[in-house]
Parts: sequence; C-alpha cells; structure tokens
Amino acid sequence: MSASRRDFLKTAGLGGALLLLRVPMQGGADAGTPGPALSPGSPAGRFGPNKWITVAPDGRITLIAPRSEMGQGARTALAMILAEELEADWKSVVLEHAIPGLRFTGMRTSGSSSVSDAWRSLRVAGAAAREMLRTAAANVWAVPLEECRAENGTIRHLPTGRTRRYGDLVEAAAALPVPENPPLKDPNDFRLLGTRVPRVEGPDIVTGRAVYGLDARPAGALAACVARCPVPGGRALSFDAAAAEAIRGVRHVVAISTGVAVVADNTWAAMKGRDALIVTWDEGPNRSDTTETYWKRLEEASRASRVTRSSGDVGAALEGAPRRLDAEYRFSFQAHAPVEPMNCFADVRPGRCEIRVGTQAPNEAQAAAAKLLGIPLEAVTVHVTLLGGGFGRRLDYDYVPEAVELSRAIQAPVQIVWTRRDDFENDRFQPASIHGLSGGIDAGGQLVAWSHKMTSFHLTMFGPYAPENPDTYEGNPWGAYDNPYEIPNLRAEYAQARAPVPTGAWRAVDYPPSIFARESFLDEVAHAAGRDPVELRLALLRSPETVRIGERTLDRRRLSRVIALAAEKSSWTQPPAPVPGRRVGRGIAANVYHGRTHMAQTAEVSVGPGGDVRVHRMVCASDSGQIVNLSGLEAQVEGAILFGLSAALKTEITFRDGHVEQHNFRDYPVFQLPETPEIEVHAIESREAPSGMGEQGVPPAAPAVANAIFAATGKRVRRLPIRPEELRA
Amino acid sequence: MSRYRLTVNGTRREVEADADTPLLWVLRDGLGLKGSKYGCGVGVCGACTVLEGGREVRSCQVPIQAAGGRRFTTIEGLSRDGSHPCQEAWIAEDVAQCGYCQPGMILAAVSLLARSPRPTDAEVDAVFGEHVCRCGTYPRIRRAVGRAGKDRAVGRATESGAVGRASERGPAGHENKERARRKSAATDAGASITAPSAIAAGEPR
Repeated sequence: MSASRRDFLKTAGLGGALLLLRVPMQGGADAGTPGPALSPGSPAGRFGPNKWITVAPDGRITLIAPRSEMGQGARTALAMILAEELEADWKSVVLEHAIPGLRFTGMRTSGSSSVSDAWRSLRVAGAAAREMLRTAAANVWAVPLEECRAENGTIRHLPTGRTRRYGDLVEAAAALPVPENPPLKDPNDFRLLGTRVPRVEGPDIVTGRAVYGLDARPAGALAACVARCPVPGGRALSFDAAAAEAIRGVRHVVAISTGVAVVADNTWAAMKGRDALIVTWDEGPNRSDTTETYWKRLEEASRASRVTRSSGDVGAALEGAPRRLDAEYRFSFQAHAPVEPMNCFADVRPGRCEIRVGTQAPNEAQAAAAKLLGIPLEAVTVHVTLLGGGFGRRLDYDYVPEAVELSRAIQAPVQIVWTRRDDFENDRFQPASIHGLSGGIDAGGQLVAWSHKMTSFHLTMFGPYAPENPDTYEGNPWGAYDNPYEIPNLRAEYAQARAPVPTGAWRAVDYPPSIFARESFLDEVAHAAGRDPVELRLALLRSPETVRIGERTLDRRRLSRVIALAAEKSSWTQPPAPVPGRRVGRGIAANVYHGRTHMAQTAEVSVGPGGDVRVHRMVCASDSGQIVNLSGLEAQVEGAILFGLSAALKTEITFRDGHVEQHNFRDYPVFQLPETPEIEVHAIESREAPSGMGEQGVPPAAPAVANAIFAATGKRVRRLPIRPEELRA
Repeated sequence: MSRYRLTVNGTRREVEADADTPLLWVLRDGLGLKGSKYGCGVGVCGACTVLEGGREVRSCQVPIQAAGGRRFTTIEGLSRDGSHPCQEAWIAEDVAQCGYCQPGMILAAVSLLARSPRPTDAEVDAVFGEHVCRCGTYPRIRRAVGRAGKDRAVGRATESGAVGRASERGPAGHENKERARRKSAATDAGASITAPSAIAAGEPR
C-alpha cells in the first residue's frame, strides 16, 4: 500500500484538529495471497473498502470498522492490529461502524477474511500515523527523530524523559507528509498481538446496552410480521385480512413480494395479527416433496459430474489395486439458527431510505434497496448493527428489500420481525450432499489411488443454477479439490443439482460435508491397510513439502505439525480413559482451509449400549499464522467445534409435503452446555501473515468424532447426523 | 387493552397492553428495555430471561395479565455500571461471542449463584441446559460461573436478604443510607427488606 498525501486530512471540527488516515484495503491481494472465492460460482472478488482512522486531540483513536461483528471478534482484532503498530494505549481505541456507500464499498464479511484482508493495510496505516506523531514531537522539541519513541499513546524523548500525548501532537502531525514506507514493527516486539484481549463489545453486551438489529427500531415505529408460504417456492393466491385487522394494534395488512405483511403498533400485535391472517397458498412445485425427493435428485445429478482435478490414472490404479474400498457419505440439510432471528428496519421517504439491520453484506443490501426504490446508492443509508449470530445466513440480505418494500407500501418506518419459525422455514440452508469415495491400497499398505466425488445443490444465495458454467466447477469441491495428501492417482469430481429450496453459505460452506467424507474415508483406508490414522496422514504429507493445487500452494509441513501436535496433546498413543459401561475411542481429522489455516482435531468419545454418543474431549491444534487475539482465536475454535458437533450428532433439516419440519430449538436441538466436551486449543505461534479462524474449526469436528466412534465400536458412520440406533452394542 | 402495574428494576411502571402480551414485549416495546432478547418465543432458549425474586423467569412465557403487581429485574437493572460479579466474570472470561443470548445467561448465573455460590457441575448443567447459545460459548460460561462464585459479593448476597436488612437496620450512618439509596436506584432489591438475595448481589461493592 502506498498512502498518499491526500489520504491525510486535517479537519477542524467540534473536537478541534483530527488526524485522519485513509487506508485503502485490497482484500486478499493485500495480504499477499488471493482471497478465496466465496462460493462456487462467486467472482473471486477484491475487497476495496476505505477505512478511516482518527486521532482526536483528547487522544482517542477511532477505528471505523468496515466488517460486521457477529461474534467472531473481527472488530476487536482489527483494532488490536491498528493499536499495535500505532503504539496506542489500548484503552484509548474506540470503534465506530462504517456506513456502506461510495467510501466503503467492500464491507462484506465472509470467508473468515476480515483479519487477513486488513492485516497489511492496517499495519501500514498504524505505522504511518505513528511515524508522523514521532516526527511531530521531534519537530516540536527540535530534537533528532531517533531520540523520540512512541509508546502507549505518547511520544517520549529518550534523553530527557519528557513525554507528549498523541492528542497534543495531532495538529502538528497532520501537517506532515505521509511516509511512503513506514517501518513496521518487528513481530518480536509485539506487545498486544498474540495476547488474550477481551472483546471490545463486552461491556455493552453484559449490561444489555449492545444494539442488535432487533433492538434498532426507533420508539414509535411500526412492527410487522410476514406470512410467507410455508413451502419454499410457493406464493399467496388470496388472503382474508378481517381476523388480522380485528387484532388491536394492527394497522395494515399488505401483500408484498415475499407474502402478506401484518403491520402493527407493537411486535406482539403483529405476531398475533399474522397468526390470525387467513392466506390461501399456491404451494408451488415443491408441494409434495420430502427429504427423500431431494436425496433422489442428488443421486440423479451425480451422474453428470465433471472431473475438476486429476493426476495419474485413477481408474487403472483402482482396478489394479489389491485392496479397493468404496463408500458413500451423506451430509443432511442444516440450518444456521442464529439466536437472533432475521429482522430489518426500513424507513422509506421520498427520494431516500434509512435501513437498520444486522447484515454480513451491507453494500449488497444497500444496492438492493436502491434498485428496488429506483434511487441512487447514496440516498440509501444502511446502519449496520451488531449481529446476533451470522454463520453465513446474514450474507444473504433477502430480509432487507422485504422491509424496504413494506415501508414504501405503507409509507411509514417499519421493522419486520421474523419469528423463530419464520427463521427456520426461510433459512438459506446448508444443502444436503452425497460423497462417493474410492481408495486403492497396494500390497505394501500404501494408498495409491483416491477418488472423491461430491454432489450437492447449488447455493441460491450466490446466483442461479449454472451447470454449464465452468466457474461452477473451478476449484470445487472444496476439500476434495484441495485434498492435501500425496496420492499418486488422485481425482476430484463435482456435480451440482438445482436447489429446490433456498440455500447458502453455512459456516465453512462445502468443507464440513466434504471433510467429513474425506477424513472419515481416510480413516477407513488406514484401518483397511492396518495403519495408524495419524501415521498414515503424516506419511501422506511427507514429500514433497509443498504442493501447488490450482492457485494455491499448500504447505504440508504446517499441516503435519498440527496433526502431530494434536496427536501429542491428546496422548494419541495411549488408550482413552475408560468410561464404565460404555465403549470408548479416539479419532483424528485434519484440514487446510483454502490453503491457509491448518488444523487438526482429535475427539474422545464414549458410546453407550443403546448407541448414544458422548463427546468427552476435543483437542485442536491450529496454525493460522500470526495470532492476533488469542482469546478470540480460542473462542472461535470452541464455538466452531460445537457448531460442527451439533450437525454431527443432533440436528438436521427435513422436509415433508414441501414443508420444513423443524420450527424451533426443540426440534433443531443445537448443542447445549451439559453435553459440551472439554475443548483444548493449541495454536502454533507463527510469523506467517494471519489467516482466518471464524469457520475453520467446523470441518474437522464431525469426522474426528465419527472416527472415534469407529475406534470405540467398529461401526463406520457414513451419514450425519449420527443415528444412535446404528451404534447399538 | 388494560393497564398493568409492575415493578421493573426497582421502578414502578404502568403499562397499557393486551392481557396476553408476553412480558418480553412489554419490556422491549413498552418500556424500551431491550436487553431482554427474543430468541424462540416458546421458552426454550432463555434469551428473554429476567429475574423475579432471584428466580429465573422466561419473560416470553409470562403474559402481562399474570405479571401485574410483580417485581422483575432485567439485565439493565443488574448493576448500574456492569459491576455485578457475574458481569465482571463474563468480561474476565471473555465469554461473549455474538452476545445476543448473554443477558439471559448472566441472569441465569445470578439466580444459580444466589442459591448455590459454589455450584456443582450438575447444578450448572441443570440451569444452562435450558439455555441456547449458537456461538457455543458454553466452556467459558462454565468458567465464568465458577469465577463469579468465588466473588465475595455473590457469597454475601446469598445470605438470603442479609445485605438488604443490614443496610436498613444498621446504624443510620450516611454510608449505609447512601448504599441503600444507590442499591434501590440500581436494582429491584433495595426498597424491600424481603429483597431476593440474588438481586441484592447487584449492590455496588
């Protein structure tokens, strides 16, 4: 990055002079590696937000955060990076959320990329500001620059010990030229990065002051609930509003694109009105579909697969192998189920619109509103609140134009509130997928052939079904295409079916299903070959040390290191502790997320006589480059493991007569505290640029558990969620 | 539409609402107390948890007609400044991820620790097995409960209203009066000598 003079501005406002620093951010390219495409079919985008950092005369340093905060700790991490290079007093750093628009164009929060995208830009920005403050102090004191040191929000003159606070140097610093290549700190001198820093939003969260989308409706504004067709793809034919309008507080009953909205003075009246509303639905083409219908569609689609990666001659090697294994794995539909359901506040006025919403895609939401209203982008103001969970669901913004349309229709500010059931029925589901795997083992127990074919539904969140478009296959399927293991004959294949229901990014997208299949099947190979699952993995990663797969270079040494570390920390060579009356076992799984975050997990489980599974302990070893916030990293791994375990052991979305059968946390029972295992996180210290940690903990959790179940019971789990009846003693 | 009187965070409030309106929506829409969250609407996730007499109450399951005359504490009333031992423990253990469910979690911890300042794992399981955190903050919740339980303020408060009585019966020194006044302003507890112990834990230390 090169900061130019015009990027620094001196302003005179209420608070006097401010040092403003504009930081161009260029996404993955800025971090030295190409950013991962978001999904099959999405353009490999460059991020281009500008950030503004201000240093105020009172010493307060404001970072205008361009990434949404949904619990992943991105805003805290970004502030830490800035504070580190700026030598700021951590307590003086405050955050404001960016408002999307021409100035902030790349605010999309996805792909675990917030930190890696900002890493170099924010360091350079912080260092440039620090150098200007040092120079300002040297000028004021008329002393050599080398005698001035930045520390903890002040510049100190080393020979005399005098100090001056940053705030007092703002005006002098703002007049200085911007250093082109400010010296970055030696990572060995980091004092903040790599430590555990509590989340900046913590005090607001524990006092109830934190504002989520649902909290952002201004007093006096209307609330609305929308009756949407319970079968995806259906539509309202007619409705009878009389009963709804009879509910006290109901003001409007209006047909909108997504259904029929009931608008009321308060949320409860809107909910009651919506329940009283009588709608006749055309349930559309899905009306008689069941989950089985969708599995059959996948089976059919799998015949039209394309090979996306191939080396050697897999067919011949499989034919010629003395030992051949074939297996099919299945991963069910899943829901995001953030505890805060979708919601959006919109206030449409002539020629302009204000939106308050928790979203991972503020620019896209803004553009959608502008397009709907036919007004310029800058006439739409989007205030991004905290997100009560995202996990990829809030990367779609379907709930934004819905609220805009309603506000326009009733000519009043309104918040649409989704009930929990609405949230389940209208999720952008993780699609079901089928994985066909084959492996060939030679007489010496070596894995000589490997084939992994994934068949999934397309992700409607990212565009239309495009089975003829080469982009659909490029780099896919994740986890099979970027298989890190050295196997002489290796093939990845991908097939896509048209999604019958809305689908989208679900924390780590393709990796959770594909890694479940890949790492479980590798365990099958290990057992068939009479080899230890850790030893086999390490052997398959030994040489060559790096491998180029498509645009990415995988460093097998980093993956080997985390596998060895996870094995060591989980006492791999020792049997797991016995649990009376239950069968115990330990399993391992590993993954590299888009060539960048390396991770291995081991699971210790016990299985009861009736087949019930308890996970006792998960050990995770990771290498995600430079650790920014260790507490945040550990939190993400803990949460991601539990996210993965929910799908492995407990939850699935099913369909009957086209209806989603799960409506609440009772029938979509995500993990809760009593069943939470002990989780250990061992993060390797590294000087590589930081990669992400928001999603990466999800994929290895399920196969580690499935492999542990095999070790305990001799029964191979090939579909999730795990069915206890299949594991009876 | 009827009028209902209830006490929230030590302040008497009068609200007008339909009889079946859940307390949650009275708090959020009527009184502007948005720290109590809507998560499931059926009492299974615990995001809407408030306290009554130190007990956990699912505010989405209490119709306002049944809430009249009762006294509730919401997350906003737990302390004036985030200094309740549970709030401090939640920060110290960096529990929150998205944070949406955490007000309910914290109030559940306050209730548990009032009954049992050194809760067993089984007691912790029983309470938090009725709450949902999709981010998976459970390991840290367990640690934060343990940490808060070691705080003397929680221990004192568990002596069943003893703090409240001492404040009001003790020597009429300025300090005690001041403490009682501040407590009254900050929590539901101060005004009554039958103050539920858990709420008394919100007294500034």
